[in-house]
Amino acid sequence: MTTTERLPARARAAREGTARIRESAGRAAVYTLLGAAVVTVAFPVYYAFAGAVMGPSELSSYPPALLPHSVTGRNFAGAVEVIPLGRQYLNSAVTAGLITLAQLLTSILAAYAFVFLPLRWRAAVFGVFLATLMVPWEAVIIPNYLMLSGWGLGNTYFGLVLPFLASGFGTFMLRQSFRQFPAELRDAARIDGAGHWRFLWRILVPLNKPSLAAIAIYVFLSAWNQYFWPLIITRTAQMQTLQIGLASLRDAERADPGLILAGVVLSLLPTLVLVVFGQRFVVRGLTAGAVR
Amino acid sequence: MSKWSLRLAAGLAAAALALTACSSSSSGDSSSGDSSSGGSAPGADALDQTQGVTTVTFWHAMTGQNATVLTSLVNEFNAAHRGKIEVKPLFQGTYDDVIAKYKASVQQKGTPSLVQVYDIGTRFMIDSRQTVPAQAFADKDGYKLDDIEPGIRNYYTVGGKLAAMPFNSSMPLLYLDADAFKEAGLDPAKPPRTLAELGEAAKKLTKKDANGQTVRYGFGASVYGWFVEELIAESGTLYCDQDNGRAEKADKVLFDSVQGAQTVQWWADLVKGGYAANTGRVTADAQAAFKAGKVAMHLESTGVLRGYTEAAKFTVATAPYPRLTADDQGGPVIGGASLWIDGPGHSAAEQRASWEFAKFLTEPAQQAVWHTGTGYFPVNRKALDDPKDKEWLAKYPQFQTAIDELHATKPTPATAGCLLGVMPQARKGVETAIEQTISGAKTAQQALGDAAKDLQPALDSYNASVG
Amino acid sequence: MPRSSGAAAAAGRAGAAAAAGRAGATAAAPKRGPGRPDWGERTLAWAFLLPSLVVFALFIGYPLGRTLYLSTHGNDLFGAPSRYVGMRHYTDLLASAEFHKTLVTTLLFVLLTVLPGVFGALGLVLLLESRVRGVRWLRSAFALPFAFSVASASVVFSVFFNPAIGVLNGLLSQFGTGPVGWLTDQRYALLSVSAATVWMNLGYNVLVLSAGIGSIPQETVEAARLDGATGWRLARSITVPLLGPHLFFLIVVSTINSLQSFGQIHILTLGGPDGATRTLVYSVYEKAFAYGSSDFGTASAQAVVLLVVVLACAGVQFGLLERKVHYA
Repeated sequence: MTTTERLPARARAAREGTARIRESAGRAAVYTLLGAAVVTVAFPVYYAFAGAVMGPSELSSYPPALLPHSVTGRNFAGAVEVIPLGRQYLNSAVTAGLITLAQLLTSILAAYAFVFLPLRWRAAVFGVFLATLMVPWEAVIIPNYLMLSGWGLGNTYFGLVLPFLASGFGTFMLRQSFRQFPAELRDAARIDGAGHWRFLWRILVPLNKPSLAAIAIYVFLSAWNQYFWPLIITRTAQMQTLQIGLASLRDAERADPGLILAGVVLSLLPTLVLVVFGQRFVVRGLTAGAVR
Repeated sequence: MSKWSLRLAAGLAAAALALTACSSSSSGDSSSGDSSSGGSAPGADALDQTQGVTTVTFWHAMTGQNATVLTSLVNEFNAAHRGKIEVKPLFQGTYDDVIAKYKASVQQKGTPSLVQVYDIGTRFMIDSRQTVPAQAFADKDGYKLDDIEPGIRNYYTVGGKLAAMPFNSSMPLLYLDADAFKEAGLDPAKPPRTLAELGEAAKKLTKKDANGQTVRYGFGASVYGWFVEELIAESGTLYCDQDNGRAEKADKVLFDSVQGAQTVQWWADLVKGGYAANTGRVTADAQAAFKAGKVAMHLESTGVLRGYTEAAKFTVATAPYPRLTADDQGGPVIGGASLWIDGPGHSAAEQRASWEFAKFLTEPAQQAVWHTGTGYFPVNRKALDDPKDKEWLAKYPQFQTAIDELHATKPTPATAGCLLGVMPQARKGVETAIEQTISGAKTAQQALGDAAKDLQPALDSYNASVG
Repeated sequence: MPRSSGAAAAAGRAGAAAAAGRAGATAAAPKRGPGRPDWGERTLAWAFLLPSLVVFALFIGYPLGRTLYLSTHGNDLFGAPSRYVGMRHYTDLLASAEFHKTLVTTLLFVLLTVLPGVFGALGLVLLLESRVRGVRWLRSAFALPFAFSVASASVVFSVFFNPAIGVLNGLLSQFGTGPVGWLTDQRYALLSVSAATVWMNLGYNVLVLSAGIGSIPQETVEAARLDGATGWRLARSITVPLLGPHLFFLIVVSTINSLQSFGQIHILTLGGPDGATRTLVYSVYEKAFAYGSSDFGTASAQAVVLLVVVLACAGVQFGLLERKVHYA
């Protein structure tokens, strides 16, 4: 590996010289590539915002205007008129919130049982939890749709959240976390007379907050972004989630590009804030499943 | 079970139903059987003899402005029948959602009292055997249906009986950018009548810039099977056999006829020649192209007229839907939806109340409100005499085209439109055929032939399942 | 970015199987109190597991069985399962040219989204590593698509791709070419939908790989630098191999996400033109829920095929890749 050490000093200097030239050429290439990449990646984002404030004449002009000449808020007002955006925000928040809370709760309990409680057929039961991860939701979506609408839960919050109240993913992640919990702390708690319930909620959960937060973010975003299930289980604009509302905005009779983009911008704000300001925090949540 | 015992059982069921229909006024337990084919409807006394409020659950698919107008009509009706009938409108999503939901409700024996179903669901609704024909009520009461536009009645008449009460109807129109016409030296008052003329006009209307870029296409419509159905009807030929499924249940589609192939080939050739914009299946994209002035001629329903006149910066003109050749004897088929009264599982009083409401909605005054508020075609002829309606027509003179078009259409099997249990899939098949022809993968004749062949198993199994 | 409920599961799958591969299912036996097992504790364990197990049984276990059941039955007029038809739906599918096309399209879609998505992100992250100015800003810019959901991104791209009034064709016309039927031309539709998908996933992929690079021990990189390794060589010999686990994770997650993609196809093309973008999941939707067909039998058979494909993909990837991945 350390070939440089054996080179004579002059040769080394020459080599460093050409390396420097090569490096500056390389630098230029790197910046060009990065610049092109940034433009490509950021352009749709830019255009969503620019288009959202353009008037209809600018948007339908050909070639398309890339800079808004005048700024209008009409598109936002229009978007809110065509779809009940506020209500759909609420629907998305309620749905994703309930799913997140429920998954945290069921996963905490299950993971606790796997790590801290005596259990017969532990491996088999854990295998069941892992197996649920292998089933793509789309493979069971038809019976779920038939079953839940049969129960009269179509177009309700129950219909939106019920199938997602537990998760093999959350349980698996938390089990990993719980297993790293120091045995001494656990024994100390027991000597202090803490029962399982108290140990779980007073000691274990508070000390695992980072893992829980990471899982919560992941679950919340997944639920927030759902499309197929809310599309078929909801019917009215009042019960649809933001994602379905956006899609319907596009097919609305009054829809034009400005209106559509305004809807996108409005729907985007929370996640955008999350990405721009809480990036590092989010990354932990996203890569929770990755590599330990 | 032998044939005999089946017939016996059917006979018994029919007898039992006849009994319940005559005797009971409010029993809601006749949840099976076939009261629709019998076509017997309870008389007005069923409602008169019932104590308290009879509730009508009404499933519909109206949104936005349409829903607002519908709600106001419902409120008006409820106010007039206070203490007697209460209509509860329940929005169920898109027309497709309504059908899906209705299917589930049949399985769960919880159908609504009244349901709004799109035109192409007509065959399915009859086959579901859950409804009482509107004709049966009209006959019972001696109520004249003559004021309902004959062209509209024609669509919903099956086996000589009006199966459902027409409610919201629309027709296809040829929309024109009048400014573009003048610019190209064409007269928007003399719009193209045949596909050949339309093609010629499209060539003149197509405009390119200095770089050879097309800035305006002569023609553009979304890849929507309905437009082909309408063009076939305009040619006076059939879309499916058995007189468009009017004589008997259709067991074969005929859209791969010479006329069908010519229509689709014409469309594809215009796209391939660069005279028509292909905006794909998404309706909103084609509409956006017309509104933005990117397309000078455009096929759409009457329903979008108001939106177009408000959004477009050019003068929007309308023309009758085009024909294949000048001497075609056909005309447009009515689109939209109708109201179906459910029989099994609903008391006689409830059925009566549904009928009263459906009747109310189709009366001239209500249809005038509906027509002017939504842009749908008035299903009642007399609605056009309403002052409110006249005022509206003065504001949107382009709508007169649709009225003239419908009144000029002779009710024939061709203009009645095809009734098919698998009509939605048939439409999808035609859309695929259009795409294949445009891409050049197949000729129109091949593509439509393949679509018909692909559809046959679904059609057979549908017909087998309804016996 | 987690695009669907499936995404969380996919991430879990990747992690879970990796862990299972290393440790097996040998959960550390908890320390039991001396003497006989405590019945109270055993009951408590089951009580804790019960909520999850009930949800799994109701919404995964039973529906899975039901999917199999539906896939072997016909449907009556109202979509209810009617008579038993055995493997008819499956044999019909195998004989159907339409279904063959669906499978090929699905495979192409996976290739066209996973490879550019993962390796494009890798390229960007490596470029960012070459000590450029404003790395933080650039990384934030690359992470932007992450803020978009499938629906919002698809809706934006629908404005871009619009054949008549779209931005892309407008720009092309400036260069005297086009217009291109991005979504309406057989040749481009799948490419366009894939490109939109790659864009959507880029943010997440960049974030994961950046995190991966951040976790590489600084001493390792410095040592390599002292050895004269720069740029491409550093990337090839140090960074990429050490990113192995992250790349592996991303490939698995992306593949499974890609197989489950639905929103972009539903919003952009409805599976068209002429089935050019009809993937397996979209086909399930089409048969079951679109066009009023309620063909739950055929749709369920396709859902079973999807299940098999996902399982097979996961299996193959673990079999092939796991051995080559260098777990740091």
